[in-house]
Amino acid sequence: MRQAIVYGVISGSTYALIALGFALIYNVVRFFNFAHGAVFCAGAYLNYCCFVIFRLPFWLSASIAVILAALLGVSFEFLVFKRIRKRGGNSLVLLIASLGLLISVQSIIAMVFGNEIRTVRSGLVEEGFSLFGARITSIQFNILLTSLLLVLATSAILRWTKMGTALRAVANDPELAATKGIPPQKVIYFTYLLGSALAAVAGIMVSLDVSMNPTMGFDALLYGIVAVIAGGVGSVSGAYLGGLLLGLAQNLGVWKIPSEWKDAIAFAVMILFLLLRPQGIFGKRIFKAQV
Amino acid sequence: MTPLLQAREVSLAFDGLLAVNRLSLEIFSGDIAALVGPNGAGKTSWFNVVNGLLRPSHGSVFFKGKEITNWSGDRVARLGIARTFQDLRLARGLSVFDNVLLARPFQQGETLLGALVRCWAWARQEENAKVAARNLLQTVGLEEMASSMAQDLSYGQQKLLALACCLSTQAGLLLLDEPFSGIHPELVSRLIQLLDRLASEGKTILFIEHNLEAVKKVARRVIVLDRGSKVADGGPGVLERPEVLDIYLR
Amino acid sequence: MTYICHELVLISIFSILAMSLNLLVGYLGLASMAQAAYYGIGAYTAALMSLTLNTPLPLNMLAAALLAGLSAMGISWCALRWHDDYFVLATFGAQIILFSVFKNWVSLTNGPAGLGGIAQVSFFGFSFDTPFKFLMLAAPVAFACFLLIRALARAPFGRLLLAIREDEIFTLTLGKDVRRYKVTASAISAALAAIAGALYAHYISFIDPTSFSATESILIISMVIIGGAASLTGSLLGATFLIVLPEALKFVNMPESVAATGRQLLLGLSLVVLMVYRPQGLLGTYRFGRNQ
Repeated sequence: MRQAIVYGVISGSTYALIALGFALIYNVVRFFNFAHGAVFCAGAYLNYCCFVIFRLPFWLSASIAVILAALLGVSFEFLVFKRIRKRGGNSLVLLIASLGLLISVQSIIAMVFGNEIRTVRSGLVEEGFSLFGARITSIQFNILLTSLLLVLATSAILRWTKMGTALRAVANDPELAATKGIPPQKVIYFTYLLGSALAAVAGIMVSLDVSMNPTMGFDALLYGIVAVIAGGVGSVSGAYLGGLLLGLAQNLGVWKIPSEWKDAIAFAVMILFLLLRPQGIFGKRIFKAQV
Repeated sequence: MTPLLQAREVSLAFDGLLAVNRLSLEIFSGDIAALVGPNGAGKTSWFNVVNGLLRPSHGSVFFKGKEITNWSGDRVARLGIARTFQDLRLARGLSVFDNVLLARPFQQGETLLGALVRCWAWARQEENAKVAARNLLQTVGLEEMASSMAQDLSYGQQKLLALACCLSTQAGLLLLDEPFSGIHPELVSRLIQLLDRLASEGKTILFIEHNLEAVKKVARRVIVLDRGSKVADGGPGVLERPEVLDIYLR
Repeated sequence: MTYICHELVLISIFSILAMSLNLLVGYLGLASMAQAAYYGIGAYTAALMSLTLNTPLPLNMLAAALLAGLSAMGISWCALRWHDDYFVLATFGAQIILFSVFKNWVSLTNGPAGLGGIAQVSFFGFSFDTPFKFLMLAAPVAFACFLLIRALARAPFGRLLLAIREDEIFTLTLGKDVRRYKVTASAISAALAAIAGALYAHYISFIDPTSFSATESILIISMVIIGGAASLTGSLLGATFLIVLPEALKFVNMPESVAATGRQLLLGLSLVVLMVYRPQGLLGTYRFGRNQ
C-alpha cells in the first residue's frame, strides 16, 4: 500500500509537470493544445540523441533537449497557431491543427528512430533506497525533486517576474490586459516557451523512469488533460495537484483493479469531474457561453 | 389588470458585483416601453434574466401569470417572448429567407420523423411558412435581400432581419436591445413607424435604448435604471426630471 | 479485380463513418472523437449476435444501431452540459473508455484475441462471400446512408442544425431546444457508425479492438475535415482519399512500415495545412470560425 502511494506520487509528479505546462498554455490561448504531446516526445528523443547517441554528459544533453524542444513549441505558435488566429479560426480549428502537429512530429520521430520501445539508463540498475517504508530508486527520487523544484520555480516566475505577471493578466482577462498595454503576442510566445520546456523535462523524466516510444506524446497528453480538468481549469497549481491526484488514483486503483484498465480509470475520473465538478478542485466556475 | 410580464425583486450578481438590484417591474399588454439608463445600469442583464439566459440570484419573474424564473431560454421563448441582442445575433451563414423561416415555431420538418417523411400535410405546412416569411420580409422592407446571406447585409439591414425573426416566432412580447443604435436616420424613422404599427397590431414592446430622441418619439412609457435599480417610471416626461438628467451627466 | 472490390468495400464502410460524423462536425460544428468507438459497438454487437444467436445481418444492424444510438444519447447528454471545447474531451474520454472495454472485458469480447468466425451474410441461399458480392451489399447501404443524411440536411431539421452551429444562443432564443437536437444528431451519427461496424464484422469475419481505437477516430475525423465540413460528397472524397493513399504509397516502392508512418505523416501535415489555409476542406463550405 505504501509502495503504491510512493509510485503514485512519482508517476503523479510526471503527470503534474505535463499538466502544468498544458494548463499554463491553455489559460492564455484558450484551446486544448495537443501539440504539447509532440514537445513532450521531442524532448525525450532529443535527450536520447544527445545522451545515448552522441554520448554527451547528461546535464548537457538534457539542457540541449529542453531548449530545442521549447523552441519547437514556440515555432508551432509562430508558424501555425498565430496564422490560424489571424484568419479567424476558432478553438476547434486550433485543436485540429495541434492534433495534426502531434501526428506529424510523432511520425517523423517514428521514421527516424523506429517504433521500438527504448529506455534511457544513466547507470547500472540499482536497488534503490527506502523512503517512508517503500522502495524508491535515486532516479525516481530525482524526478520527484525536479518536478517539485520546477513547479515552485514556475510559481515564482508567475508571481514575481514582469513577464509572469503579464501572463497572469492575460490569462485572467485578455481584453483588459490589452488595454493596459500588455503585448499579447510576446506573452503568448513566453507561455509556449515555458510550457514546452516543462513538457520536455517531463518527457525526459518518463524516458528515464519508464520507457520511450514515438506514441508517448499522445498517451502523456491524455493524462495531462485529465489532470488539468481534475485540478481545475484556470488554476495552474490546481493542474499540478490534479496530476498528483491522478497518479495516486491510478496506482491505488490498480492495486484493486487490473492494470489494463489504467487508461479507463483515468478517463472515468475525468468524466466524473466533468459531471460533478467541472471547474475541478481549484478552478473557477466555467460559464457556458458569454451572453 | 394583470400584467403581461412581472419581475419581483430580481437581483443578479456577478462575482460579487450587483448588476441588477432588487428590481421590480410590471409590463402590461400593449405597452411600448423604453428601458433607459447609463452603461452598466443593468438593462441588458435584466433582459438576460427575463429571457432565461441567466439565472437571477434572487427574485422571480412571471409571464402571463406563470412563473418563468429558472426556465431555460428556449422554453421562455416558446411561451411568447422574443428578443434581439446588443451585439446582433443571427445565423450568419444562412440566407435572410432561411433565418426568418428558421424562427417560425411548430415546424414538423424540424423533427426527425418530419424530416424523413415528406407527407402532404407537412409539405403544405412548409409552403405556408414560406408565404408567411415572404410577408414578414416585406413588412420590414427586406424582401429584395431574401436570397442574400445574412452576413452580407449591412448593419442596419441585419438589425431589421433580427426584428423579422422575432416577428416570425409569433411572440407577443418583444424585448429589443438597442434597436436604434448604429443605424442611419432614415432607417430610424422607418423603424419608428414599424414599431408603432406592431404595437397597434397587439404586440407588447420593451426596448433598451440610448437614442433618447427615438425614445421620445416611440415610447409611451419610460423606465429609467441606474446601477441596477429603478429610478423613474412614467411617461416620456420623466426624461426631463432633474434626477434623471443627473444620472446622464455623471 | 478482387483487390479493387475489397478497396471499394472499405471505401463504402468508411464513407458511412465519415458522412455520419459529418452530421456532427460539419452541420453542428461539434467535433466528436468517439466515432470509432461507436463503430466498434456496432461491430461487436453484430459479431456477438451472429455468433451466439445466429441472427441475420438486418437484425444485427438494427440491434447495433440501437445500442450505439442509446449510448451516444447518454454520453452526449452528459457531455453537452459544458462548453463545446469540453465536449471534444468528453468524447475522447468515451472513446478511450470504450476501447478499454473492447480490449479488457475478455469474457464478453475475447479481448485482444478478437472474435472470429462471424457468419457470412446470405439471403435465400445467395451468399455474399467474395469482395465483389459483398460490394453489392455494402455500396447500396452506403448510398442509403447518403440519401438519409442528405434528406435530413435538406429538411428544416438540417437548417436548424446549421443555425445552432452559426449561433447557438440566437437559435435558443427562437424557442428551439438546442440540446435535444445535439443529442438527436449524436444518436443518429452513432447509429449509422454502428451499421458500418455491423457490415465490417460480417465482411472480414474477424474483428479485434485495434480497428476501433482512438487512432481510427482521428482517421475518421480527418476524412471529414479533409473532404470538407458539411459536404457529404466531401466525406466520400475524404474516405476514398485516405483509404487509397496507403495503397498508392505501396506502389512507390516504400517498405511496409515506412509506408504506414508515411501515411500518418501526410495525414498530420494535411490537417495542419488545411486548418491554416483552407479549414473548409476540399469541398466544404464551413470554415469553423468567424466567416470574414
